[in-house]
Parts: sequence; C-alpha cells; structure tokens
Amino acid sequence: MNYVKDMREKLNIEYVKSELIKTAYGGKETFLASLHPRTLIIWYLFFGIVPWFIHNKIVLSCFLVLMVVLTIMARVSPLIIVILCAGLLGEIGFLLLVSLVFGGGLASLLPMFWLTVKLAVIALASIAVFTSMDPERFSDALLSFGVPGQASFSVSFGYRILPTLVEEFQRVFLSYRLRGKAPETHGIFYWRTASYYLKLLVLSFYPLILNSAKRSRTTVEALETKGFSYSFTNAEVKKMKLAHLTYTYKDPLFLIGTVAYISFAFWLGTFIS
Amino acid sequence: MSRSSLVQLSNVTFTYPGADRPVLKDINLTIYEGEFTAIIGGNGSGKSTLCKTFNGLIPQFYVGDFEGEVILDTMKTSDHSVAQLSRNVGYVYQDFENQLVRPTVMDDVSFVPLNYGLADYKERGEWALNITGLSALRNEFIWQLSGGQMHMLALAGALAMKPKLLIIDEPIAQLDPNHAKQVYDILKKLNEELGITIIVIEHHTEFIANYCKEVILMDQGELVWKKDVREALSQVVELVQRNIYPPQVTQAAYALLEKGHEDRILPIQMNEAITHFSPYSQRTETLPPFTTTSMAGKRELIRFHQMSLEYRTLKKERKQVLSNVNTSFYQDDLIALVGNNGAGKSSLLKLIAGIVKPSDGHVVVLGKETRKASPEVLSEAVSYIYQSPEEMFIDDSIRKDIEYYLRVRKIPDYELIVDKLLADFNLVDIQHQDGRLLSGGQQRRASLAIGAAMNPAIILLDEPTANLDVATKQQVIQMLGKLQNHVQTVIVATHDMQLVAEWANRIIVMNSGSILADGNRYDIFGDEDVMRKAGLVPPQILQLSRALCLAPPCFTIDEFTSRLDVVGAEGVQLELCKGYA
Repeated sequence: MNYVKDMREKLNIEYVKSELIKTAYGGKETFLASLHPRTLIIWYLFFGIVPWFIHNKIVLSCFLVLMVVLTIMARVSPLIIVILCAGLLGEIGFLLLVSLVFGGGLASLLPMFWLTVKLAVIALASIAVFTSMDPERFSDALLSFGVPGQASFSVSFGYRILPTLVEEFQRVFLSYRLRGKAPETHGIFYWRTASYYLKLLVLSFYPLILNSAKRSRTTVEALETKGFSYSFTNAEVKKMKLAHLTYTYKDPLFLIGTVAYISFAFWLGTFIS
Repeated sequence: MSRSSLVQLSNVTFTYPGADRPVLKDINLTIYEGEFTAIIGGNGSGKSTLCKTFNGLIPQFYVGDFEGEVILDTMKTSDHSVAQLSRNVGYVYQDFENQLVRPTVMDDVSFVPLNYGLADYKERGEWALNITGLSALRNEFIWQLSGGQMHMLALAGALAMKPKLLIIDEPIAQLDPNHAKQVYDILKKLNEELGITIIVIEHHTEFIANYCKEVILMDQGELVWKKDVREALSQVVELVQRNIYPPQVTQAAYALLEKGHEDRILPIQMNEAITHFSPYSQRTETLPPFTTTSMAGKRELIRFHQMSLEYRTLKKERKQVLSNVNTSFYQDDLIALVGNNGAGKSSLLKLIAGIVKPSDGHVVVLGKETRKASPEVLSEAVSYIYQSPEEMFIDDSIRKDIEYYLRVRKIPDYELIVDKLLADFNLVDIQHQDGRLLSGGQQRRASLAIGAAMNPAIILLDEPTANLDVATKQQVIQMLGKLQNHVQTVIVATHDMQLVAEWANRIIVMNSGSILADGNRYDIFGDEDVMRKAGLVPPQILQLSRALCLAPPCFTIDEFTSRLDVVGAEGVQLELCKGYA
C-alpha cells in the first residue's frame, strides 16, 4: 500500500515534466555538452546507423562499453534510463513470448540478447547526444547544415511549448477528474483505478489538441509580426544566429579519439574471431 | 498643429468569408504620430480586427473580402509583406502567452531585432528588458514566469525594435491594480519620452481617463467617432447605450447634472471630480444604521487549521506559497478573496478543491480532510471554476460539457436538470456548439453552468470577470446571484474591486501567503493601511465619497447620487476631508 503511494508520488506528471525540461535545457557542463553541436551530430550519424550492420559480438560489446561510459559522463536523468531499461527488457520478454508460442524454446534467447545489445548501443548513443545538446543548439546545428530556417526553428519551438503543453494537459486531466467519478473500489491489482486513469489520460489529449490548434493561430501571426519570415531573406541573420557556436580543440580530439576507438574495436573483433 | 499621419485608413471594409455582414464597415481613420489612443467598443465590435489592418495582418493573413486602402507610414499595406510592415509596428496580443516563441527571456526579447538582422540585437533586448523591469529575469525560462511577467515580456519583445507604433490588445486584463498602473506608467513613458505612438484596446475607462489622449469608439464594425479623451468619456448616454461605462466619477457627475446641461464636459479623473463635487451639498436625512452580519451560529463548511503550503522549484528550492493560514468559511458566506498577483489566492481555492494538498496543517471541507480525499470525492461538494474557461471544455458541445458530471454519476433524468441550467444561464441557443468557439462572455457563462450542474455546496471561482467587457461582466455578476440559490457558499478570487464592493458580504485580503484582513466591505475598504499593504485600489466612487467626507462612504454610484443634493440646496455643505485637499 505504502509502496504504491510512494510510486505515485514519484511518478506524477510534475516529476515527469521537470525531468523532461532538465533533460532538454539542463545547461550541463559535461564534456559532451561543450562540443560543437555539428560534431555531435556527425558522431551520432555514425552510431545511429552503423551498429545495425554489425554482427561481430566483440565490436558490439566494445561499442556498448563506450556508450555506457558516455552516458555516465553525460549525467542522464534516471527517469530516461528507467524508461530505456523497461523498454529493452519488455522487448526481450515480448520476443521470448512470441518465440515460445511458436515453439522456439529458450535457445532463441541468445540471438535476442545480441539484438538487444545493438538496440542498447543505438539508444544510449541517442540519449548521450541529445541530453548533451539542448534543443537550441540542436536547432542551430541543423540550421548550420543548411536545413531550412522554418524546419530548424520548429525543433526549437517544439521544445519551447512542451512545458506549456504538459501544464495544459495537467489542467485538462484535472477537469476530467474534478467532474468525473473514480471507481469506488480499486479492484484486484488496482486494475479499476488504473484503467480509470488510463482512460482519462487518453481522453485528455483531445481537448489538448483542439486548444493548441486554436492557439497556434496567434503564434503563427505573431511570428510574422516578429519578422520571422524576413530573417530568411537576409544571409547576415543566419550568420548572427550561428555566431555563438564555436569549435574548440575538444572537437577534433573527440572525433579522432572515437575513430581510434572504433578501429581498435574492429581490430580486436577480427583478431579474436 | 501639423502632425504627420502614421496610419491612414480610407474606406476600409472587411468581411470574413461566409459572414453575412462585414466586420469592418467603410472605415476612414487617421492615426497621427505621438498619439496615445484607446479603442473602445463591446465584444465583437471589430476592435481587434481594426488593429490588424494596421500592419497588414488583414488582408494578408485573414482571407476575406477586403476593400479600401491602408497606408502605414508611407507604405501601402497591400504592397508589402507583414514582416516588412512590422519593422515599425509592435503588436501585443490579448493571448500574449502564445506570442512568446523562444525558450528564455533574453532569447525572446531579442528575437525580433535578430530577425531583422540588427547587429545590436542583444543591446536592444537588454534595453527593452530594462524599460519593462524584467532585467533580473533575463536567463529565466518562459514557462517559469508568472502571467504578469509573461505579459511584460510580450511587451518588451514588441519594444525591442523601438517601433513607431505599438498596438496592445487589453494590456491589463489579468493584472492587479498596482501592476496595471505600472504597465500604463511604462506606456506613458514610451509615449512621452520616446514619441512612440500607442494604441490600446481597453475596457477600463478609468485607465483611459488617466493615460490616453484620444478615444476611438467602435460599434458593430463601424467607427462611430474619434474624440479627445475628455469629450469622449463625457458622452455618457452614448457610451452606456453601447454597454461601455465611463469612469464612476463621470457617471456620478452625469447623474447629478441639471436638465438641459447634458452636453457638458464632465470630470473624468479623481482630482477633477473632487473639485467638481465640492460645491454640492449632502442631504440631511439620516441613513439606516448599518448592522454587521455576525458569523456566530452559522454552519461551518470549510476550516483551515495552521495550514501551510510550499513547493519545490526546478532548482530544488523550496517556495512558500501559503503560511500558517487559520480561518473558516460558513454557510451563506459570499467571499471575495483579494490581494495582488502571487498573494496565494488561487492556491487557497485549489486547496479547498483538493487539487493541491497542504504541506502542513489541515484543510477540512464539510468534515472531510482534503489530504485523504481525492478531487473526485471532493467534487461531490465543491466545484472549482477555472480562470480560463477553455480548459473546462472537455466535450464537443457545451450541453455535453454541462451534463458530463451528471452522466457519469448516472443521475436519473439529468436531461431535465441540464435543460433548466441552459435556460438559467442563457445558453439554450448555443447548447450544441463547441465551447472553444464561443465568445469570451458565452464561454464564461458556460463555465458557470458547468459548475452549477455539479450541484455543489461550495463553488469556487478564479477571476470570473477577467477579460470581459463591462456588459458581460454585469451578466456574470447577475449569474453569481443565481448561483447563490444553488449553493451554500461562493468563494471568488478576484482583482475586480467593483465586483467585491457590490457583491461580497465577506472580504478576505491576502498578502504574500497569509491572510492580512478579514471583514465586510466597511472594515476592509475603511482600513487604508490594509488597502495599501495589499496593493488594493478601492472603487473610484468609494474613493470620491471618502475624499468628500461622506460618512458612511458610498459603494455604488446610486448610493452616491442619492446622498448628494443640488448645488446651493439646504443641507450640509460638502467639505474636503483632511488629507485629501
């Protein structure tokens, strides 16, 4: 009973919101955060794609070790880690269930383990990069790669309205609760209460979407009155927007270090097998 | 005096697609440089639409039939993009929180000059923050600001370009009197020292009287006139016919005019009113003695016992919202919770509804400890009406919204109850419309009906008259009267001192998280210390009657006019009170 209550206090929307914001805008002073966002994106393009095509267990293990180290260095929020682990374990569990149903047996566990390692490498790479690069830097990096201004701005704006949306979601959810009727008994394993809340969570999205659609009218107009579209006609503006991004000695160091580590991993992989 | 024109409208007519009548009808208007002009008119009279023609939003962003010509400075608005036109026009929306598009204060305020490629965009941002008093917040995130701070930031963002024209749609709708005055003082400074032309859409005629120089009256899409502020606000009959109420002192002066002098220029500011009324005399008949209502013997509904509330900020700092609150609410109480922004009024309401739980002490509602009761359980007795009605619309028609509470509880024959409520709150014709698409006044009425459908013993309202024009506000006050018959106590958190003076029988003054004073309107409005400390400004008519030494003071215009007699009549000659002369 107390345990459930404790969980409920930990896992309220307020906590999720503050963790999300901290993850996005934490203003970290970690090593990864001090890199130029372009460096991080180039780095990520490798680790987001290449592991899919690697089947060598030694190489994958080396990659995983690197990712774990980087994730620790990036001081990722515990919430994100918990969600990731839950996702990965759920994945294994579900695949195992499917394989058992179709007569696969426990022997299928091993290949699934290696698939999970692959997923973990990619997931951890994403987490390490995106928690180290706030949405503003990410958006500017996209702009510097030549992505159109509207697209790079929408990344930054998407994050900017996230807290506002969460707050509004909370209020709509509360509207349902203040006029709704909770089940009188919790049911076995709290299923009645849980299904009541889940239903409200889903229902709350509809008013939220309608309200946001209505409000975006002002935002679109306001952007125009703020000279947003004017900024694309002027190349100087782009230069000014990107002026705060600078390369330091850390950027080549990081890329060279990574290349060296990757070469070592591949060498080790071929050497052992 | 030759002034150069800044905005020139010639024969402008605009019709929204599908509408049967134009929203702007053949408008001819010149705005000169250096003006400080208020646009007045009822909800839906075309005030915002008019302003949106100045920077080309209409017709470029709104499809519809547009005729006529608008010239901004030297540019024809039809020949330039909104972004080009906006270089010299700052626009602050009524829903200003949606115009903040960047994550931090500094980013947002320097966004406009950055877009226009001005190298000194940061300095401009700093300058605008400095003018609006936000410098200390430059590194804060937008979502951590209070509503008032967001409004200031929207203003600062519009200012950073040092525009020639600044348009503000309802600059003080959600602000307490002190903050409202701050906003207008800033606007005045901008107008006088920097020569920025300012146009406000405003319902508060007392602020218009004190700050604006000219007034434009709109009615159903037509521009009725543009007049000097003094002349404009003296048109009492014409304004009241359109449900616009001039300052209380002006209304009182008009009511006491002798026949045949109705076209006189009337006092519009307090000091003028004091001079104006000084020659009048007071009627001698004695007033019935005022008896205070006693709290004793009434049923206690809600009790706060040594209650404190705190929360943690993102940076893990503790923030005390309410501290050591001890009070009770009784049957038949009509309570107004007053105090400046951030005094803890909304938090107090949320504690009663069980939305937030006390950090310390107890809140007991109808015998239930709120800490142990879920909001669903408390909602059987308490209904909480949000400040913004939109967040109460959870279904696709207001009829369904009103019946939601009854339906999920499977109340027999709930349709009959809903029909009655729809009739009571004047919503029958619009019952099948989506609440989000209604006008501000309709939304407010719908939200009251939703609250009443819960058949609560206690009803809580957060700023029920914010953002409403005076006519709609009067309707809401009437509706509050109707609510009284349905419930045992009504608690309203508000900045609207007129509502407080005319409606409440008990006033609780909050100040930085605790209760500063508790009493009837004579106790509270009579205590200047409390009023000053809590940043409250009494209704104008009350200030006037005090300045004229009327005892007891008057709370409504009718009270005031019935107590005064014509100039030179027998009776007690009015004298200025000491301290007011």
